[in-house]
Amino acid sequence: MIHVQHLTKTYEDLQRGRFVAVDGISFSVQKGEIFGLLGPNGAGKTTVLRILSTVLEPTEGIATVAGYDVVRDSAEVRRHIGFVSNNTAIYDRMTAWEMVEYFGRLHGMKAARLKGRLEDLFDQLRMNDFRDVPGGKMSTGMKQKVSIARAMIHDPPVLVFDEATLGLDVLVARNLLGVIRSLREAGKCLIFSTHIMSEVERLCDRIAIMYCGKILDSGTLEELRDRHREDDFEELFFGLLSQHEQEMRVGGRIDHPSSANHGVGEQLV
Amino acid sequence: MSDSSRAIRRQAELADKPRASAVWLIYMREMRDQLRDRRTLFTIAVLPIMLYPLVGMLLLQIAQFTRQNPTSVCVIGTENIEGAPPLFEGEMFAPELIEQPDALELLTYRWDELSADRPVRDKANEWVKSGAFDLVVLIPPAFKNNELMGDLVGTETKSTSAEENRDSDIELLFNVGSDQSVVARQRVAGVLAAWRGEWIKERLSGVGIDAEMLLPFEWSDTDIAPERTREAAFWSKLLPFIMLVWAMTGAFYPAVDLVAGEKERGTLETLLCSPALRSEIVWGKLGAVASFSMLTALLNAGSMLLTSSLVFQHMGVGGAGAALGSPPLVPMLWLFVALVPLSCLFSALALAVAAMAQSSKEGQYYLMPLMMVTLPLVMLPMLPGTTLNIGTSLIPVSGMFLLVRALVEGQYGTALFYVPMVATVTGSCLWLAARWARRQFEDEAVLFGGGEQWELGMWVRHLWRDRQIAATPAQAYACGAIVLVTLFFARLTISEMPQDFAGIAKLVMMPQVLIVFPALIMATMLTTSVRQSLRLRMPHWTTLPLAVLFGVTLHPSYVMLSKMINHVYPVSEQAAAAMKPFAEQIASAPWAAVVLLMALVPAVCEELAFRGFIFGGLVREKGKLRAVVLTAVMFGISHGVLQQSIAASVMGVALGWITLRTGSIVPCILIHFTNNALSVSLGRIADSGWSGASVFLTQTELGPSYQPFWTLISMGIAVTCLLYFGTVSPATDESESELLGSHHDYVDPTASLASA
Repeated sequence: MIHVQHLTKTYEDLQRGRFVAVDGISFSVQKGEIFGLLGPNGAGKTTVLRILSTVLEPTEGIATVAGYDVVRDSAEVRRHIGFVSNNTAIYDRMTAWEMVEYFGRLHGMKAARLKGRLEDLFDQLRMNDFRDVPGGKMSTGMKQKVSIARAMIHDPPVLVFDEATLGLDVLVARNLLGVIRSLREAGKCLIFSTHIMSEVERLCDRIAIMYCGKILDSGTLEELRDRHREDDFEELFFGLLSQHEQEMRVGGRIDHPSSANHGVGEQLV
Repeated sequence: MSDSSRAIRRQAELADKPRASAVWLIYMREMRDQLRDRRTLFTIAVLPIMLYPLVGMLLLQIAQFTRQNPTSVCVIGTENIEGAPPLFEGEMFAPELIEQPDALELLTYRWDELSADRPVRDKANEWVKSGAFDLVVLIPPAFKNNELMGDLVGTETKSTSAEENRDSDIELLFNVGSDQSVVARQRVAGVLAAWRGEWIKERLSGVGIDAEMLLPFEWSDTDIAPERTREAAFWSKLLPFIMLVWAMTGAFYPAVDLVAGEKERGTLETLLCSPALRSEIVWGKLGAVASFSMLTALLNAGSMLLTSSLVFQHMGVGGAGAALGSPPLVPMLWLFVALVPLSCLFSALALAVAAMAQSSKEGQYYLMPLMMVTLPLVMLPMLPGTTLNIGTSLIPVSGMFLLVRALVEGQYGTALFYVPMVATVTGSCLWLAARWARRQFEDEAVLFGGGEQWELGMWVRHLWRDRQIAATPAQAYACGAIVLVTLFFARLTISEMPQDFAGIAKLVMMPQVLIVFPALIMATMLTTSVRQSLRLRMPHWTTLPLAVLFGVTLHPSYVMLSKMINHVYPVSEQAAAAMKPFAEQIASAPWAAVVLLMALVPAVCEELAFRGFIFGGLVREKGKLRAVVLTAVMFGISHGVLQQSIAASVMGVALGWITLRTGSIVPCILIHFTNNALSVSLGRIADSGWSGASVFLTQTELGPSYQPFWTLISMGIAVTCLLYFGTVSPATDESESELLGSHHDYVDPTASLASA
């Protein structure tokens, strides 16, 4: 459902000049699969997912979602994808119901079908308590639910969750992971990006570890454990990162300490 | 780029057609959202409805206050008036001398009452200074000794010096710093003049002359304008101004909230990843902003009209009672018609500007610059003597404003004549603004960029480290601004026209140096290739002779254009006289020197800067139209004189298009050189006695001019040349196209797959 090949994205940046946020990465995600994108802040996860949701254009390489090219058929891609990010906020002056309905209508859904779908979603995500609460008065958990309902309203075959559990309490986060699992059961194609390793371990079928715009390694959890002979996933992750930094240093290609990337990159990408 | 990628692009553009239903949906949401916002509602609805009645109330109270506080006047030395008609009646000026006596409070003193301890004048001075009295009238004791006092006997012996005369003058002490005092002076001066008139009449009749005889004729003023026109004249000036200012304000705040505010809150990204197309988002938001702009303007104008008519009625302002009470309503409808395109224009501008801001707070900072640019256009029609003509009708906003005024005043014929011009100008401005707004929404750097900290040192490092082959758009803008600002100040330093050729050479060289220097320095320091950044490339060889041919055949049209411009915006006689020694020096100098100075140097310098460095920067990032239009405008402005500027701007568009098509400035230099060389040599060619000259040229009293048939033919050839330029594929460099072009080109997926 999702194919990414040699995807590269560069930015002009005051501090770092031409800065490569995503450096020629490739991966693909199948139907009924949860693909985990794991990496520290500033690794380029958000940039990749923004390209997939057609908000950004890639500098090089191609990406297709449900068979549509993200550059050429961006409108079609947006019709087949649901994108939830901690950057995609909801309107303060719209109620939960209005917000989800609005995006359903933007998808061109007919009134009758939209009504049914709304009722289903509000039941499924247990949102009926705050149907008529405006966005400005919602808690973080409520907002996240509205965002998910907004992304799912048109029943897209592909769903992208970008750091979706960020800032949620344990209960709501657990609930969200349950929703994502149920989506997999429904045969959706899912990408889930995070920097929390336990979530990846519990949820994802396949994992790609991203760092400095590159995918260091990818595969199922088992494959990764076997390949690196490391049972503890956290150790495995740090091992990969430090190995990469060492390679860069040996190659003399590290211009800036990686710590400088953190924080700045997150605002940027 | 290959044909297939072009086809893909076209297909993508076709798919990009906005759907009306989506635009409507977004529009409705934005409207509802804004109407739920207390701040917006307050600014657009509550404020105007409350503001004007409040201001009106305040005005009424102030009016009452001033009525209750009449100006206070003190007259000192009443005993010094002898044998004159009565100035006072009781404690007031005589009623036949003064209008509205209630508004004046009078206190009179005798001179000797006050002259006890210190000079009267000092005391009076102090009174005015401290504000105890608004005005003190001193009638000195010497007034009694006035030569003309009493009989006319002794008028022939009027030998007293002016000095002495001054001692006997009445003195009015007032303070120009106080309005009240100035008004009091005016009123008392009027009283004194009337009094003097009475006195003269009395004296004349004393010697047996009828005062009427001294006035051979009288005149009377009759305003033939119907009542309606007078009202219309007042309202047609004020109302459009108020409405446009409010239309601007009403557009700006929603625009900031709908773009910068949404960016800040993160909802814009939500919308961008929905199936709504960028164009649908822009049109929806633009509609909402324009609606609010119009609503604000209408509510403000309505509220102001209602309040002011009530207040005026109450105060009796406007000469003939309540003549200004109500403006003529039907002609005012024209104003509402004109409001629609102007509101849309302001809204598109506000939207595009607001898109640059990362937050609402940042957005607010952009209001001032936007106002500074648009306010002069709104102010211009308010200046006395500005009327609708070809010149003013071509100025954006102002033209529309004047057209509306003509309609309101009932000059339908004149208005109808200028409708096409105003409509074209307004339409193209609107199109450009809407296009800009759309571009802003397609630009990733605008939507997601910024937010990083700016630091001088880092910025300088960035300029040096990230040098590119050609200038960036920002560098191009900077270069243009530097050139125009230095030119402006350099022109201010020129105080007089030089009288010899060397002086003129200096005068011509200075702006050229100022134009080319910033471009050369920036090209050397800020780019990696001076040649590329100045667009010094070899175009296809056929374009070179073609450029010369185009220059020669364009010249008659250019001359015609200049004449037309001079007709529409005539050069003042003063300016023409100032230019005369210049023209004479040019005519008498050696031909080769003149061509070098007036044709070669400007052609090279101006093209290097405008079509070279600046164009090269602006043309990047899909900025073809931007590069052509802006370089033409900058090129025009750099000429300093309005008439030349307009002609040069038109020329600039042609040159810009040619450099866009050929990818080089060499043809432009040739065209520019040919054009200028012909301009300075036309007189010499006509005088040379060459028999061929008369085929093309005729002698007129204004100097040599082209034969009409040649103008026509040359126009045809020039157009053909232009068409040929259109078919040329631009000269580019591999490295450049890689850097500048491909970034935005659509990627052909099959090619990448094959290589992978």
